[in-house]
Amino acid sequence: MRLSELWRITTFRLAGLYGLVFVVGMVALLGMIYLQSAVYLTRRVDGILNTEADALAQSPRVELTQRIGEALALNGDQTNVFAVFSARGRWIAGNLHTPPARLKLDSRPIEAPPTSDFPAYARLIGRRLPSGEALVVGRDVSQLREMRSIIASALVWSGVAAVFIIFGLAVILSVGPLRRLRGLQIASEEIAAGDLKRRMPTSQRHDELDMFAGTVNTMMDEVERLMLEVRGVTETIAHDLRTPLTRARAQLHRLEQAERPDPSEFGRVIGEIDVVLERFRALLRISELEARDRHAGFAPTDLGMIAGQVVELYQPLAEAGGVRLAAAPGPATVIDADPKLLFEAISNLVDNAIKFSGEGGVVQVRLGEDPARPRIIVQDNGPGVAEDERASVLQRFYRSEGNRMIPGSGLGLSIVAAIVRLHRFELSLQDANPGLMAVIDCRPPSLSR
Amino acid sequence: MPLAPRILVIEDDIDTAAEIASCLALGGFRPEQSFDGRDGLQLALTQGYDAVTLDRMLPGMDGLQVIKALREAGSEAPVLMVSALSDVDDRVIGLRAGGDDYLTKPFAPTELVARLEALVRRNRRGSAAEVMLRVGDLDLDLVKHEAVRQGRRIELLPMEFKLLEFMMRNAGQVLSRRMIFEWVWEYYFDPGTNLIDVHVGKLRRKIDTPGLTPLFKTERGVGYMIDAP
Repeated sequence: MRLSELWRITTFRLAGLYGLVFVVGMVALLGMIYLQSAVYLTRRVDGILNTEADALAQSPRVELTQRIGEALALNGDQTNVFAVFSARGRWIAGNLHTPPARLKLDSRPIEAPPTSDFPAYARLIGRRLPSGEALVVGRDVSQLREMRSIIASALVWSGVAAVFIIFGLAVILSVGPLRRLRGLQIASEEIAAGDLKRRMPTSQRHDELDMFAGTVNTMMDEVERLMLEVRGVTETIAHDLRTPLTRARAQLHRLEQAERPDPSEFGRVIGEIDVVLERFRALLRISELEARDRHAGFAPTDLGMIAGQVVELYQPLAEAGGVRLAAAPGPATVIDADPKLLFEAISNLVDNAIKFSGEGGVVQVRLGEDPARPRIIVQDNGPGVAEDERASVLQRFYRSEGNRMIPGSGLGLSIVAAIVRLHRFELSLQDANPGLMAVIDCRPPSLSR
Repeated sequence: MPLAPRILVIEDDIDTAAEIASCLALGGFRPEQSFDGRDGLQLALTQGYDAVTLDRMLPGMDGLQVIKALREAGSEAPVLMVSALSDVDDRVIGLRAGGDDYLTKPFAPTELVARLEALVRRNRRGSAAEVMLRVGDLDLDLVKHEAVRQGRRIELLPMEFKLLEFMMRNAGQVLSRRMIFEWVWEYYFDPGTNLIDVHVGKLRRKIDTPGLTPLFKTERGVGYMIDAP
């Protein structure tokens, strides 16, 4: 655990901030006490000194020496200073033999350090007597000074102690989150390194870290699912593309070896490659559909009209294949959709139906009876799709084994599914007994946005 | 015989550019290459090409910017946009910017050649409003909506008329299935299987009745063409 890392932990910062506020408050409080008490006590001492000095100064000069002696006897010469000096500073009476250097007469009291005469800190005041002599009155203030220094050191030491305690506490409080964060980091590094099964560790606390880890885990579930899907898709595509490419390669190889290549062989190779290209186009189309802005081309669309147009487009193809293709009349149904895409989807369904029903087949395109639940149905009487295969047929890029013999990209249904998903419609395959019924359920316009 | 049309190929991928150029050379064009948008634009503006193929995504100046600048400078050279983006919206954007046709990658070389030929011809012929199309002994009256061959009126469905009009406007010109689907039906998805084949086949049976000289021709692996014998 490095300090620089610790500093970034919210708990640490918060604890530090609260601690700092606490220390500042404490220092301010103690400082106030210090100032208030020191000022108060000093003022009191000064008041007493003033009173004493006034009283002595007003006493007759002849009694002064005696009064000073009495005052000293009364108050003790170790705790009080009383002294009189001549105008020249020569000692006349009292327990101070030299006048204090800094003392100005008739001015504010001063604090003087201990001297040989008076071995303690003293607060002193001077008065000029009418006779021109100087009167000095003072008091021992070492107690006051001691008290001040006690408060001051309390201030410093408690401040230092508080800072250490707060720092320690912040560190202790941050270790837990930091350790969990480290766990999350390790997990995410492993995920980034490719272990998609790995999940973020969570505790039983359900706090914000757990909530976050939970969100990431949900996301990872989705990512893992998508990756699996992509892997599946990639394998399918690889398989689907490899087959025609392998054939084309073999044919080219044969042509290379041949003395006089048969021109129709080239056509076959081109055919194989065209299949690959066609599949690529379909794949691109699907991913494009999936990346599309949903409502870009949406407009009120007449389902019946689209069905009619598709039938018109595919009629000749059906005729050529001996299939009877018809659009059954239905109720007028207008939905909110992209008409070109819907046309493409229905075209694909019809194309499939014609291909699979084969000679003599019947393909019908009709609308649902209930206008409140618009749906379009493409039904054929071909072999249908086995029940267990119906779901997978609709998956992205799925090609049925049986389909592989049928020309075309084989991805028509995947394109239909992508278009249906884009519209948030629903595509289902049902048994038509016999044959297959592909149903696109379109929600009414009011609900589709 | 007119000189082979000169085509400018603007494509940043050198291999693809070379590939396109060799297809075009085989298809009877004289291709020249440019590998980025700015140079391409400069060449297109100064060299008077018959047509330009323009990749949509280019370094420096992308295809859309190139075509806009080209049109702003007054150039009317037909431009075929070539892009990996096949969505209808992308196509609309490309055509609206001034492109004349839009081809998505991957494409067959024949498709590219067919489309360029159509563009070059359309450009050389000019866009005069025609009321009557004629190929051999087949007449198409665009006002009366009537097809007449050797004096005999041929009944056509609306789509068949549109298909015939498109083919006759591009007479002598191979049209790919996809081109037909896009220009006649105006849909841009892959019509799959032989949808266009049966439509053309049906029309062909109405026009080329037995005993008459066939006007329709099939280009194997490419598409169809209508031409006077």
